[in-house]
This record gives sequence, C-alpha cells and structure tokens, in this order.
Amino acid sequence: MLAVVSVISVIGVWFLLTSVFRVIPPAFLPPPQNIVTDFLRILGTPYVGHTLIGHTLVSLQIVLGGFFSAILIGIPLGVLMGWFKRIEAIVDPLFQLLRPIPPLAWIPLSLLWFGIGIQSKIFVIWLSAFVPCVINSYTGIRLTEPLLVKAALGLGVKNQRDLLREVAIPSALPIILGGVRIGLGAAWMTLVAAELLASDAGLGYMMQMARRALEPSVIILGMLVIGILGALMARGLRMLEKWVCPWVKEEEH
Amino acid sequence: MSRSAENFWDKVYREKTVLSLSSVLGFLALWHLATDILGLMPAIVLPSPEKVFFTIYEKILAPVGEEKLFGHIGVSLVRILVGVGIALGLAIPLGILMGWYEDLDSMASPIIEVLRPIPPIAWIPLAILWFGIGLGSKVFIIAIGVFFPTLINTYIGVKFVDPLLIKAAQTLGAKDKDILWEVVVPASVPLIVAGVRIGVGLGMMCLVAAELVAASTGLGYLIMLGGDDLKPELSITGMILIGILRLLADRVILRIERRVIYWKKE
Amino acid sequence: MNEEQRPDKLSARNVSVMYEKDDTSFLAVDDVSMTIQEGEFVVIVGPSGCGKTTFMNTFAGLVRPAKGKVYMDGEEITGPSAERGVVFQQFALFPWKTVSENIEFGLKYRGIPKEQRDEIVKKYVQLIKLEGFEKSYPHELSGGMKQRVAIARVYANRPQVLLMDEPFGALDAQTRTIMQEDLSGMFLTEKRTVLFITHSVDEAIYLGDRVVIMTARPGKIKKIIPITRENLIPDRRQMRYDDVVNLKEFLELKADIWGLIKAEILEKHIL
Repeated sequence: MLAVVSVISVIGVWFLLTSVFRVIPPAFLPPPQNIVTDFLRILGTPYVGHTLIGHTLVSLQIVLGGFFSAILIGIPLGVLMGWFKRIEAIVDPLFQLLRPIPPLAWIPLSLLWFGIGIQSKIFVIWLSAFVPCVINSYTGIRLTEPLLVKAALGLGVKNQRDLLREVAIPSALPIILGGVRIGLGAAWMTLVAAELLASDAGLGYMMQMARRALEPSVIILGMLVIGILGALMARGLRMLEKWVCPWVKEEEH
Repeated sequence: MSRSAENFWDKVYREKTVLSLSSVLGFLALWHLATDILGLMPAIVLPSPEKVFFTIYEKILAPVGEEKLFGHIGVSLVRILVGVGIALGLAIPLGILMGWYEDLDSMASPIIEVLRPIPPIAWIPLAILWFGIGLGSKVFIIAIGVFFPTLINTYIGVKFVDPLLIKAAQTLGAKDKDILWEVVVPASVPLIVAGVRIGVGLGMMCLVAAELVAASTGLGYLIMLGGDDLKPELSITGMILIGILRLLADRVILRIERRVIYWKKE
Repeated sequence: MNEEQRPDKLSARNVSVMYEKDDTSFLAVDDVSMTIQEGEFVVIVGPSGCGKTTFMNTFAGLVRPAKGKVYMDGEEITGPSAERGVVFQQFALFPWKTVSENIEFGLKYRGIPKEQRDEIVKKYVQLIKLEGFEKSYPHELSGGMKQRVAIARVYANRPQVLLMDEPFGALDAQTRTIMQEDLSGMFLTEKRTVLFITHSVDEAIYLGDRVVIMTARPGKIKKIIPITRENLIPDRRQMRYDDVVNLKEFLELKADIWGLIKAEILEKHIL
C-alpha cells in the first residue's frame, strides 16, 4: 500500500513541477505524459534512422554476438586454467596484467584498429564478457572440493579428463553460470558506452542524438528500454541457472 | 611433509614462476618484435613498448591538452573520490534505514527497483544534458555506479542479520534503536564493506566511461585523445594508468576491510 | 510467609503455541499449564522437537502464545525483557565485541555507570574463570569458554529469571560436566529462578529441583517429578558430578524419567 502511495506521489510531484508550475523546463526534464507520447511516437516512426524497436534490435544483435563468442572461448579457457597448473602459469600473468584495465578503456584503441564498424564494438563487448567468464570458470574449478575428487577416485574414475568432466565441471557449474551472468551485464554496459561514443544506430546512439536535440524524453525512454532489457536478460539467465543446476539451494536476492 | 614432497612442491613453484615470467617476457618481446624490428604494425596502429615509455616520461613534463600527466591523474582522482564519497554518504545510511524500517522499505523500494536496472553508463547523456561537461556530470555518473551496489548490500546485511543476535540483545535489555546501531549495524559490516568494494569497482568503470564520452581532462580523456589524434601511445598510457589506479583502489579497500572486520580471522 | 499469597514467579495458563516457519505451521505446544516459584531450578526434558524451546520462548517473550497466557509476578508477559535473561544453545555472543564487552552489554541499558560496570565485569570474569581473556574475541575461544561468557553475560545483568535453552548441548562430554558443576556452584552462590531445557536426563536430575517431562509434539506435560530431600541427597549440588551420577537414588530417578521419555518416543513414533 505504501509502495503504491510513494510511486504515485513521486509521479505526482514530477507532474506538478514540470506541467503545472513549470518550474522545470521541458528541455531539462520532460513532463511524465510526454514520455508516454514520445514512446508511442518513436515506436512507430523512425527516429534518427530506426524506430525504437529497430534501434533495440541493432543493440541486441551486437551484444549477443560479442557475448556468445566470449563465453565460447572464456569458459573453456577458465576451466583449463583452473585444472591444469601449467596452463594457469602461462596464461595467468598476462591475464592479471590486462585485467585491471576496464574493457571500456579499450574502445578508442579498438576504434583505431577496427574502424567505426561493428567489429570494434564486438571486440570490446567480447572483452568485457570474456574476463568474468574466465575468472568464474577458473574459480569454480579451483573450488572443487577435494573430498569429492577423492570419492570419485575411490569409485573408479581413472584419468584427469574424466575427473574434470565428471566432478570438477558439474560442481563448478553454478559459479560458471554466475560468471556468465556477470559477463552479460558487463557486455550490455560496454555496448551502451560504445554506442555512445561511435555508432550510427542502436540505443546508445539514439540517446546521444536525443541529447544533442535536447529531447530528454527520448533519452529517458532509451534508459528505460536498456534497463528493462538488462533485467530481462538477467532473469532469463537465472532461470537457465535453475534449470541447469537444479541442485543448488535458492538464495535470497 | 617429507623431504621429497617439499622438493616436489618447490620444483612446481619454481616451474610456475619460470613459466609465468617467460610468458610475460615473451609477450613484451613479441610486442617489441612486431613493432620495432619487423615493422609489422605501423606506429599509428600499435606503438612499440619503448614509445609508450617515452610518452609517459614526456607527458610528465609537457602538457597534453589542458594538463600535464599528473594533472590528468589528479583530476580523475578527484572525480572518483568525490563521487564515491557522495554515494557512500547516501547509500549506507539509506540502506541501513531501509533494512530496518519496513515502512521506509515499502516506500523507497519501488523507486529503487525502477532505477537500479538502468546501467550507470546509460545515464551519461542525461547527465551531460543536466550538468554539462564539467565536474558535475562525472561525479554524478560515478556516484550512481557506486550507489546501487552499496545500497543493496547494506540493505541485505541489515535485513538478514542473524535473528539470534537480535534476540540476545532484546533479552539483555536493549530497545529497538539501540539494537539497530549497537547490534545490527556492526553485524552487517562485512556485507557493507563487500558492497563498497563492488560499488567502487563499478565506479571506476563509470569514471572511464564518463571521461571517454564527455571530458577535456582526465585519464579517460587521454585514452580518447589517443584514438582521435592517431596517437595510440597516449591511449595505452591512459589505460595502464587506469589499471594501476584500479589495483591501488583494490588494495586500499582490502586494507580497510581487514581493519574493520578485525574480529573475524579466517 | 504464606506461599499462597505470593504470586508465582512464572506461570503459564493453558498455553498453546503455533510454530511457524516459511510454509509450515503446526501446533508445537498444546494446552500447557505450570508454575515456577522464585528460587526454583526447573528442568524440562522430552523427546526431540517436542516444543520445549517454543514453550520456553513464551516465557522469554520472544513468542506469543496462540492461546492462553504467561505471567511473571502476576503480570502478563508481552515481550522480551532484561528481567528474563536467555542463554542460547548457539551462544549468540556478539562477534565484534570482546569477552568483557559482551559481558558488559546489558549493564549499559540498566544505566550503570562505567566504573561500576567494570567492577561487575571483573567479578563475573573471575566467576567463570576466564581471567586473562578479557580482551579476547569470541572466535578465539573454545566452545566451553564461549558458553561461559554467554552465561556470565546474562548473569551479570542480574535478571530475576534465567531461561537456559540446552546451553551445554554444543559442548563435548568433558566440558559439559565441568560446566554443569560450575553452574551448580553459581546457583548456590547466587540463587535465581531458573528454567532449563535439556535432552540429558543426567543433567536434569543433577541440576534440577523439579523435572518436567514433556510429551512428543504437540507438547503437553506428561509428568512432573520433584527432586527433593526424600528421593535424593539434598547436597548433590555440592558434590562432584561423577559422584552424584552413581548414587542409587540417582539411578532410580533416572530409570523412572528415562522410562517415561522412552515410552513417549516409542509410542509416538509408531504412529
């Protein structure tokens, strides 16, 4: 009940300040009803090149492209690093050197190397999803309980490869999937940043253009779409986690 | 451990160190090879390692854009510190109060849940519209990045405190407000600090993003300038410095964690 | 003084309690009535899950009965209070406070000034024989030491009533014996009203003035057996635990009580 009251009052104050008392100019913060009308507008008619849906699809394609290639390489690499000390010794130092650099910081170099096209964006997005996948896969394998390994050995599992497959990987799955979830979030964020910087389509581009045109309602709409999509993807991954790892206990939040 | 076992682990450790060192050196050598000696990559695309070194040295003395190198570092630092400060100053108290007082929770939660999924970077265009290109927009973005993880972790820490501790306090005579500040908050400190750690990490990413998109000073600006001016050595300089800054921040927070959670030695 | 005129220290009248957690809820305590006089040491025993803790929690004010009422000194108990101190099985020490700070905790809310608090803490640290550990943190202490601090923390607060929920359950056998003797000694030095829950029949007979046997869930009172001059040497509290446990009277009582509990377990499990 209180929740409803507070939401209504926030919207109410917003409305009053923008529409009724005109204290806040529309170029700064649009009245709530404008958001709705603008939403309907850009849903149907193209805004700087695409409709809202068009921009969304462009963004989604790029994100998912980079994201999937990241998990395809990142997870196996992380697993191998976690299991084979030699591989860890070789890959780890390079990884640790490059890790503190935020993926976003690679954008200008990426643009320099790959131009303004899609490849530069995909590279950076790939990078941002790659790192959490590797780290979590590595951690997941390293945290395999020695007790379980001993049990498996005592039950006849012979070589390293089978141990990895039958014990280490399944037990590491929840953590690996957690890394995938983080990676998706990071990829999404990096995409938005990349689109803000150099793009000719996509949600980030749409928001930048709207800013130049002093249309904050389109900016806000972009933000909301990005937020909702991000939340949906996270929720989808959570459901995937539950399906793949039914043995994991439910956590609060 | 038996003698031979000790030797074995020593050997493994040594082998590991050797492998690690050689891979780093190999990487640097490859880099040097590809740029200076073989000229595989034009300097415009990838500069040699020495060029990066010289650039760093040079820029300490001569300005890039509006500031010298340390000026840029300083500007970025200020932005981070102010942003983190504001965010923590708001998020921690709010998280505590929301976790303890259900009414406040019901009132604030819907607003928070709507704003939270929006990545801080998505706020940049709006921030620029509102605050321009100055300090304000950067601090705003960084603050948003730090605010939400800290708020959530603080909230969870307070809300899900071990009820046994609360019962113990009640049966010793403590009343509601006392219990909150004397028992619940100290008990939540580990989670709060974890939230701060996540928040600050996110905040640094936001710093870079904000400085990439809309700044005329700062490390992110350096990175951006390198790309624009076709001087990748500038970009690499900026990236290395940001990496170092990040590592330092991690260390600092680890130190703080250790001092604040003194009662829990693992 | 006429016993009839003094109100009972603690009394429960037709108390029924529902236990609720997540999706399950069931009747834990079924229409229990009992009284406890001031200065008595009453022990509740019974099979696992019979509602002993839930019942005690009504006296602690941590749980409200679905039916019936609980009283202290004739007044209804509506919430927790420092006058009814609780010692939990899991110690519940504040991990960020030292031994001294833990023991000192309740004293602050009684408005006792600092110097006095320090004196009281010192006295109880000596009583539980933990001199030298005043500045230690709970994670540095063994189980037995932690429980001693938990007891001292409540004792120092001088509640009129002590509610102890299987306080020695998490300790190993040797530590347990020592703690029982300590508690016995403490009870002789500073007599309070105590309600004590345990699984162990030995412990019950050694410590209690009366042993209340509860049925399996939903808990009712099966029988109350007094430990008095007639059926046991009255000075048992001053004797070593090992000596008491082998007395003929002790073994007879134990057989009686244990027989009743066992019957309860067998009966209800067959169901």
